[in-house]
Amino acid sequence: MTSTLGRRSFLGGLLAAPALGAVLAACGGSGSAASAGSATLKWASSYFPTHWDPVVGGSGAQFRHLALVYASLTRVDDAGNAVPDLAESWDYNDKGDQVTFHLREGLTFSDGTPVNAEAVKQAIERAKNQEDSALFGDLTSIEKVTTEGDLDAVVHLSQVDYQIPLLFGERVLQVASPKAAADPKALDQNPVGHGPFVVTQIIPGTKAVLEKNPDYWDAANIHIEKVELVSAPDPSTVVSGLQTGVYNFADLAPSQAKAAEGAGLDVFVQPGYNASNLSLNVNKKPFDDPKVVEAVRHAINRQEFVDKLTFGYGTIATQPFPEEYIAYDPDSADLWPYDVAKAKAALAESKYSGDDLKIDLVIPDEDASAEIVQSQLAAIGITVTIKIDKNWATPFFAKDLVTSLYGTTGRDSPLQTLTAHFGPNGPLNLSTPYEPEGFEKAVAAVRETPLEDPAYAETLQKATREGLASEALVFTFSQPNVYVKDPSISQLPKNPGHINWTGVKIS
Amino acid sequence: MLQRIWALPTGKIAFTILGLVLFLAVFGPWIAPQDPLAANPETLTGPSWQHWLGTDYLGRDVLSRLLDGSRTSIIGSLQVALMAMAVGVLPGILSVYLGRVFEWTALRLVDTLISLPFLVFAVAVTALLGNGITQAMLTVGVLVSPLFFRVSRAATLTVARSQYVEAALISGASFGQVVRRHVWAKVLPPIGIALAQTIGVGFVVVSSLTFLGVGVQPPAPTWGGLLASDLGYLDYQPWAPVVPALLIMGTVWGCNLMADALRDVSGRPVVERAR
Repeated sequence: MTSTLGRRSFLGGLLAAPALGAVLAACGGSGSAASAGSATLKWASSYFPTHWDPVVGGSGAQFRHLALVYASLTRVDDAGNAVPDLAESWDYNDKGDQVTFHLREGLTFSDGTPVNAEAVKQAIERAKNQEDSALFGDLTSIEKVTTEGDLDAVVHLSQVDYQIPLLFGERVLQVASPKAAADPKALDQNPVGHGPFVVTQIIPGTKAVLEKNPDYWDAANIHIEKVELVSAPDPSTVVSGLQTGVYNFADLAPSQAKAAEGAGLDVFVQPGYNASNLSLNVNKKPFDDPKVVEAVRHAINRQEFVDKLTFGYGTIATQPFPEEYIAYDPDSADLWPYDVAKAKAALAESKYSGDDLKIDLVIPDEDASAEIVQSQLAAIGITVTIKIDKNWATPFFAKDLVTSLYGTTGRDSPLQTLTAHFGPNGPLNLSTPYEPEGFEKAVAAVRETPLEDPAYAETLQKATREGLASEALVFTFSQPNVYVKDPSISQLPKNPGHINWTGVKIS
Repeated sequence: MLQRIWALPTGKIAFTILGLVLFLAVFGPWIAPQDPLAANPETLTGPSWQHWLGTDYLGRDVLSRLLDGSRTSIIGSLQVALMAMAVGVLPGILSVYLGRVFEWTALRLVDTLISLPFLVFAVAVTALLGNGITQAMLTVGVLVSPLFFRVSRAATLTVARSQYVEAALISGASFGQVVRRHVWAKVLPPIGIALAQTIGVGFVVVSSLTFLGVGVQPPAPTWGGLLASDLGYLDYQPWAPVVPALLIMGTVWGCNLMADALRDVSGRPVVERAR
């Protein structure tokens, strides 16, 4: 009897899901705002943090959630420029190899420890030296940090680098209390920062409850009293969750946008730097033959990714920057157009054929992009076997895979984006230590160019051009950050790549 | 035996359903009207003359994917059932005859297996051994094996204590002869019932695991996998999950009816599942 009920329950549940969704839809509507609670943000996220120590969490999408708890030296404005956060100003020395950050006065972390130059020094040193740091690769320009007085942190650089203020934003330098960070494992479970909110409860992997931090330096512009951050369930249930008031804000799969709009919810796109790519390892066959790489470059039909996966929200991507961004190189917009005949011709000239052209595409989760890659490469004679490996990160970052897929959320420093993708030790360069010829010189030129220099844009775009000569990456499409919110939440600031709650109100 | 089952109304229905399922398993990939992996430009379309059940999120013909996925779904469930039988039956019989140490060890092992949640365990094992349908199904098969262990042990205990078996042993029959001549005859009918039930359970497990993205690797279609992907596009194709769900339900129902019919013709009560 037990077993019969179990089967019936399972199958009944499967069949009931659509009907239940419809019922919930009918029961939702405008009443949901009232049930959301006063000034409480109920955020369902697909990227619920696995780590709450920003040094371990790294620069991926989860920095947006950690920014609830931690403030950083700088942040970016709507145009992507570095603006003050914990540091109210900064200045470079004449040579450009030393930058001093001047901190705001009288700030404390939520455990009472003062936010001072020593705390910043320790935060940078921890990011550089902690064994499990995901950030040390971003801090190679930093030689040492010293303090001048209580509020000035002086960053000494090993090379001229004018990108530091952009680098020290939310993605790379969220500053934790040095007292709490003395035990990094404890910090990873119980974050302590000087952000707009303070954590009151964390259920690992599931839920975090935060309350407004009255001591936050910009507390006057934080109008949300409480945040309930939960790990999002299946994307198909998110809209129902918003309609019934279980959440009032969520990441949204583009396939659900139509349902959300139909339910009267606000669907919006936050600007960002998202770009997906097909990563190739040129140290392994068959991609050690440039002709095979050329074939793949011409075999990828980017428009098919956009048409089938983004539901009208995406664009094609030929480089790791959106078209309107300063680092976008218009000269590299169509380097490798989709051309099956050219792809087949290149493959015919390669030294590989038959079984040599059978490759494994290893990915962490089911991803329709992989199926599109598989069918597009099959059209030119490359057989792709998709393998889902839940431990994908280990072989990917160890550069052991032949090919994989990756989607970056970008970086505030365009140079960081470039070196991450194309640099010899870039985490997203599957072909380490390979780097395109001329890239290193172009990167050095960018570092040495002040951001306000009229030549900055041109220098940066040249570095993008040099990077795109890399045979290790084929950019495919860009799926923007789509969110859905209850109409009771006011519009969010449009800081590219970020979620900024400053000034946001819940009526 | 088959004639006796066919004589029952439940048996007729079970044979019909399972016959259709078997037909799909054998001929499904051949009768698929289109290449199940071929993507068309039109995605998430409704039924049409060209695509009777519409197209999926990549523009692939849904009917062709359902037909092509039949074999994988069915083979997966058979793997579960046969693995469970292979692992469970012999130790169940031997636990009656091989002494207390073996009996105690086998029973504790079975208790341990019963305590493991098989979906979670299957996910963990595939993370270790690689994500494949065979790894997942054989793992689940081991976890379901206590059902066969208990069925065969219970049947063997009944036989082992009967007077005619004791007489056979006294008259010089070997252990092997007793098992071959007397024990198998008593053990096989309940095992048949358990097997039919387990195939049904296997179907649900295959569907559940592929629903969770474990087991079958994309783009290979399975009924559970199609159901899972359909749920992501309900706003475009609200009717789409119905067909794979009905196929799964129908097959499980057919297996359960077959188990009922086997029970009726063997004159034994239905075996309580181990989990």
